Amino acid sequence: MEKQTPVFQMKHISKRFDTTQALDDVSMDLYPGEIHALLGENGAGKSTLIKIMTGIYSPDEGDLLLDGKTIRLNSSVEAQDFGIAAIYQEPMVFPDLNVAENIFITHRSRGLLMNWGKLYEDAEAILAKLGVKLDVRMPARGLTLAAQQTVEIAKAISLKVRVLIMDEPTASLSAHEVRQLFKLTYSLRDQGVSILFISHRMEEIFEIADRVTVFRDGKHISTRPRAEVTQESCIQDMVGRKVEDFFVKNSSPRSDLFLSAHGLGRKGVFEGLNFDVFRGEVLGFAGLVGSGRTNVGLALFGIEPADSGEIKVNGKLEIVRSPEQALKLGIAYMTEDRRQIGLTMTMSITSNISLPMLLRQYLTRMGLVKHKAETITANQFRERLNIRTTNVEQQVGRLSGGNQQKVMLSKWLNARPQLLILDEPTRGIDVGAKAEVHQLINELAAQGLSIIMISSDMPEVLAMSDRILVMREGRQMAIFNRSEATQKKVLTAAMGAVPHFEVDDEKESEMEKPA
Amino acid sequence: MNWIRRTFRPEQVRELILVLLIGMIFAFFSTQITGYFSPRIFNRITADVAIITVVAVGEVLVLLTRNYDLSVGSIVGVVAYVVGTLLTRNQSMPPWQAVALAIALGALMGLINGLLVSYGKVPSIIVTFGTLAIYRSILVEISNAKTVVTSQLPQWLLDLPGANLMTVGGFDLRPMVLMALIIVVVFQFIITYLPWGRRLHAIGSNPDAARVGGLPAQRIILMAYIVCGSLAGLAGFMFLVRFGNITVVAAQGMEMQVVAAAVVGGVSTNGGTGTMVGALLGAFMINLLQQSLLRWLQISEFWIDALLGALILLAVLIDHVIMDRLRAFWVQSELQVTDPESDIKESNHAA
Repeated sequence: MEKQTPVFQMKHISKRFDTTQALDDVSMDLYPGEIHALLGENGAGKSTLIKIMTGIYSPDEGDLLLDGKTIRLNSSVEAQDFGIAAIYQEPMVFPDLNVAENIFITHRSRGLLMNWGKLYEDAEAILAKLGVKLDVRMPARGLTLAAQQTVEIAKAISLKVRVLIMDEPTASLSAHEVRQLFKLTYSLRDQGVSILFISHRMEEIFEIADRVTVFRDGKHISTRPRAEVTQESCIQDMVGRKVEDFFVKNSSPRSDLFLSAHGLGRKGVFEGLNFDVFRGEVLGFAGLVGSGRTNVGLALFGIEPADSGEIKVNGKLEIVRSPEQALKLGIAYMTEDRRQIGLTMTMSITSNISLPMLLRQYLTRMGLVKHKAETITANQFRERLNIRTTNVEQQVGRLSGGNQQKVMLSKWLNARPQLLILDEPTRGIDVGAKAEVHQLINELAAQGLSIIMISSDMPEVLAMSDRILVMREGRQMAIFNRSEATQKKVLTAAMGAVPHFEVDDEKESEMEKPA
Repeated sequence: MNWIRRTFRPEQVRELILVLLIGMIFAFFSTQITGYFSPRIFNRITADVAIITVVAVGEVLVLLTRNYDLSVGSIVGVVAYVVGTLLTRNQSMPPWQAVALAIALGALMGLINGLLVSYGKVPSIIVTFGTLAIYRSILVEISNAKTVVTSQLPQWLLDLPGANLMTVGGFDLRPMVLMALIIVVVFQFIITYLPWGRRLHAIGSNPDAARVGGLPAQRIILMAYIVCGSLAGLAGFMFLVRFGNITVVAAQGMEMQVVAAAVVGGVSTNGGTGTMVGALLGAFMINLLQQSLLRWLQISEFWIDALLGALILLAVLIDHVIMDRLRAFWVQSELQVTDPESDIKESNHAA
């Protein structure tokens, strides 16, 4: 796979912010036509490296070499001119511009006037080269995340990209969309593009990467060909200690029923859902992105109330029309989107945790906020959930993804729910934090809390759930017991009768091993 | 139904609705007010709309980038006063010099706004709220409470507003109305066909993506403010031509009418969408309503302002309801990755 000369090299790169050494003497080579995976916990220096490669930061020490020649990047425009581009988990498209414009907007040499006809033709040509069908006249607003990423890839191609950084591109995609993205990635590789691929999903990296590099605490730990790495070796390199049993499940005994839904539906979104949630049970919700899983969560929490069917809580018929009602019934919902709606990034850990219960727990008789009580709560959760921070007054926006996730968990646990709905609880957080969140879910279930876990991470769903409900296009396809659920069964149900791609048995059993 | 989606954009549907609304307003008041369809009212409305439209065109450029320019009213006032005073003192100044001076003065004030917003990184609403007051105060200071008086202005300027290029049954096409129409057409062309115009949309649509994607956002925004200032300067000249008497409160509060025209015309205050034609239609509709209501109910100017406020709110409200649905209807494209070739390569790789 490796060609003789690397297209892009980083030599002895160091970068320091205040007291943190973000990168410490890191060297790396990228070859044309290779997919190079980069692994590391949050805070290992991956983001800093990307920003240095794309000209947003300049390194304190060390050199960047393109085709063996030292280059200096002072802005992302210069990086683009050298053929270095990045696509991110959240695609950076312009929602009001159409697909074709999005591809070409940053080009500087397309003449004085826009030739719309030619623009559409050129855009279609680039998409065709990638084997993608997408209407180039559609505004990017409303395209799926996967389609938006495709637009960004097409944009990179149009800029004659030589080094493409893909920063957690699969984090928000469904299994089917991940397959589509992989196809695109292979086709780019075959055109000689060098790809730096970052993902927290181990099985994806093993599937797609030609070489795997691991960072830890800003240092380069290892770079090995795919054939020489195993899941265990990667995790060991990442955390610097031996991690056994990455998913552990104490099977929690079923006790009494907490909530049951009959014929639950919301017009045009989902319909006909029948399920029970027992105390101390983890009910997994599997399905593709857009299958309506999140909407069911929002319905149970009263944000987008159901308009048909019934919900019984403790055997009593209840109508949930607002989050206030849901909280009173003991139902809490933790969103998948912690940045936009889950947390207030500019507020402190303390204020974020106390927010939902502020009026009920933290007011004096005069209606003033009891700050001391808030701080006590925050410190309790910091200890219990191992939130890594020196001070609970720290702004949430400054924490790593994993710690933010723990703050969000604290916020809802503080509401003392009996049913906690977790939407993608481990998305975009590092392996260590992921294991901690899994551990916590197990503990909570053991204490009798009911949990609905919506997740696109198949190994996670299989490993963590007592039962798995599979949705497809707003309908309930199946409920599997833990003992009978396999990756193949769940995927087949999620994709309908005719699977869009074959899941071959060999690979599946390989993927199931870690669970 | 597909051809509709391919031929029109949701914005154009919205403009069509606006045209229909104007027609309905017109039809309604024709039955209520005697002599409504008269050249006098028509000429009065078009003369007002011309000035508002020229300023609104500049404002749209700034709004597209997800910024505001609230100082336009003050710029119009300052330019009208300064150019008026210079013409009173120097009767022989050629007309083109007066116009050039107006544009240059407006551009200078736009430059100051733009520098503070794009390079000073102060939120535009704060910057232009400040300069709104500052430019007005400068006017008060330099005017010394004197007024530009019609009788002291050169004759060519006084002849201009009454001049006719074309008359159809008493309905005149005045030079200033023609100028406003030309500006709308030219700037509509610019925002549709020039890369600079498209990039205004891009920056307002997603500022982060613009930064990461390497668009020179600061320069583009600065330029939008300069052009906006220039157009306000030109409008200042038009204001002087139309009214002759210029006091220190000239064009005070115009920014409200201008933003209203843009918003009613479908320009988003979140940037990224809006057209010059829409702004023109918005300005026309607001003015038509104002003039009609004044004659119909004989209500006070005071209530007209309330009406203006209500219209803005209504327009934004409708935008959320209608435009979201229109857009949802428009966006129905599915992503398909279907290349048999890459399938083969993929399986090779796996093996």
